[in-house]
Amino acid sequence: MLSVALASLPATNLFSDDKVVLPFGNGERRLVKYPQKRPLILLTSRPPQLETPFSVFNEGAITPNDAFYVRYHLADIPLSIDPDAFRLEIKGLVDTPLRLSLADLKKFEPVEIVAVCQCSGNSRGFSQPRVAGGQLGHGAMGNARWRGVRLKDVLAKAGVKVNARQVTFNGLDRPVIEKTPDFIKSLDLDHAIDGEVMLAYEMNGEPLPMLNGFPLRLVVPGYFGTYWIKHLNEISVVDDVLNTFWMNPAYRIPDNDCGFIEPGSPPVKTTPIKRYNVRSFVTNFKDGDTIRSGEKTLIKGIAFDGGYGIREILVSINGGKAWRTARLKADLGNYSFREWEINSLPFPKGKHELKVRAINRIGETQPLDPLWNPAGYMRNVVETVRVQSI
Amino acid sequence: MKKVFASLSIVFATAFLVQSAPVTIELPIETALYKPAADADLANAQCLTCHSAEYVSSQPPLSRAFWKGSVEKMMTKYGAPVPADQIEALVNYLASNYGQGATNAPAASSPASDAPLATTGDAKLLMQKSGCFNCHTVDKKFLGPSFKEVAAKYKGIPDASAKVTRQITHGGSGLWGPFPMPPFKQFSEADVRILTAWILAQE
Repeated sequence: MLSVALASLPATNLFSDDKVVLPFGNGERRLVKYPQKRPLILLTSRPPQLETPFSVFNEGAITPNDAFYVRYHLADIPLSIDPDAFRLEIKGLVDTPLRLSLADLKKFEPVEIVAVCQCSGNSRGFSQPRVAGGQLGHGAMGNARWRGVRLKDVLAKAGVKVNARQVTFNGLDRPVIEKTPDFIKSLDLDHAIDGEVMLAYEMNGEPLPMLNGFPLRLVVPGYFGTYWIKHLNEISVVDDVLNTFWMNPAYRIPDNDCGFIEPGSPPVKTTPIKRYNVRSFVTNFKDGDTIRSGEKTLIKGIAFDGGYGIREILVSINGGKAWRTARLKADLGNYSFREWEINSLPFPKGKHELKVRAINRIGETQPLDPLWNPAGYMRNVVETVRVQSI
Repeated sequence: MKKVFASLSIVFATAFLVQSAPVTIELPIETALYKPAADADLANAQCLTCHSAEYVSSQPPLSRAFWKGSVEKMMTKYGAPVPADQIEALVNYLASNYGQGATNAPAASSPASDAPLATTGDAKLLMQKSGCFNCHTVDKKFLGPSFKEVAAKYKGIPDASAKVTRQITHGGSGLWGPFPMPPFKQFSEADVRILTAWILAQE
């Protein structure tokens, strides 16, 4: 029934008075309703780039499909797809090239995983010094329950040849002019067949929204969204390391232990961006909120990392002078948002800085001061929410 | 029993129909244009082909060197066909309207840039210089309609020339699809007449 309901969704009026201001310079944005989406923060209209309003993350660990952020690179995006006619091609260094319909794919063993998809440039607007690129707040991330099949199983059916080194992924989105490089990404073969990388046809129990990659997208748990190819229709096994534009020079970080360099310093040797670092957020308060003094106050939020799982959440209500451990809520898996909450000590009257810091199961945590790289990727500083108690 | 079969076949028929329905979405109409200032027509003609104006307008104030590098990147990495003699003016437009020191108020246009393009009276040359072919071709729909489609649409309509002229000088949105056509104000009246006549003659 859903497909019928979704067919031919009308465009809605773009002229909306709803505006938001992201807390950095030139951060005025409009809230715009796109098909299958609630009003989201418009970064760019062509190709569509939409950011999730941060209040959504206070609603629960799962990000609803209609609130999930949208990021494209190339403007010739598919606007109409017949799921019956759709085919996924598996080619390159395989014994048997395959052309699979969605029905063919659904014959493989289904798997589910709850996993965060986060844009490499999430929070780029907060970079100091500022850097060019999509000027995002914290809303280019979302957490969904993905259902699909293991890439490992599909590649096993095709039979990967011994000289295979990487697997490349392409979707139906295309460049406007021929000379623009198509958006193609690659994973090392070992990673592609780790049993976790997935071809997902459902998101939170529904077909994927068109703007999130209907009818099939790659899910690479713990890895930045750049690898999560939407409208995935072409998988190729290759004997080399893909070195085209979107792998090099795009989506690269400084090739050192942390991916960051001295703020403002020139680019250095780079490597492809990979796994998420640890992040955490307070979700039920924002800058400028007021809190009643002299009372315990519930503070809650979310945390996640690149797949080891969150071990501990520390919360400070006095700008980092003292920290208390928060209670972790339901564990939806190592790749999911982990909700947490804490009843704070009573606030004295005045201005306060709320901070949250997560530690994952291998002891990785978040820096107290922001780190920097030229592309504005991987921000994971301990964030601060400034409130006042009265 | 018959009833069961009947309702079952309805279920199957529905399931079949459901599976075959393509999912189609329609994007909201794009409205953002470049700040109206001297040489905005360069940005409208060269940059709107591949992306909407927010790609520029949402950036923080960055240096002229950044905007120069950005135009070069668009050309060398993404294949943007910016004519060599327009690069400098395009960089200047971006740097002075969106770069460091740019104000939110659009920069005043300089009289020099409002001067009509030097023209030989050749419609195709005019179009090449102005970036028309970045979005239109003669006979195939690209971002905008083909010139043949435009000619066909206005064939036999008495005020066709006035309508096409207005579309060129004022731009428009929503007539042919979700992409906006920016206003092209740099043409002299004589140039617009040449362009209009040429477009309407494409059959």
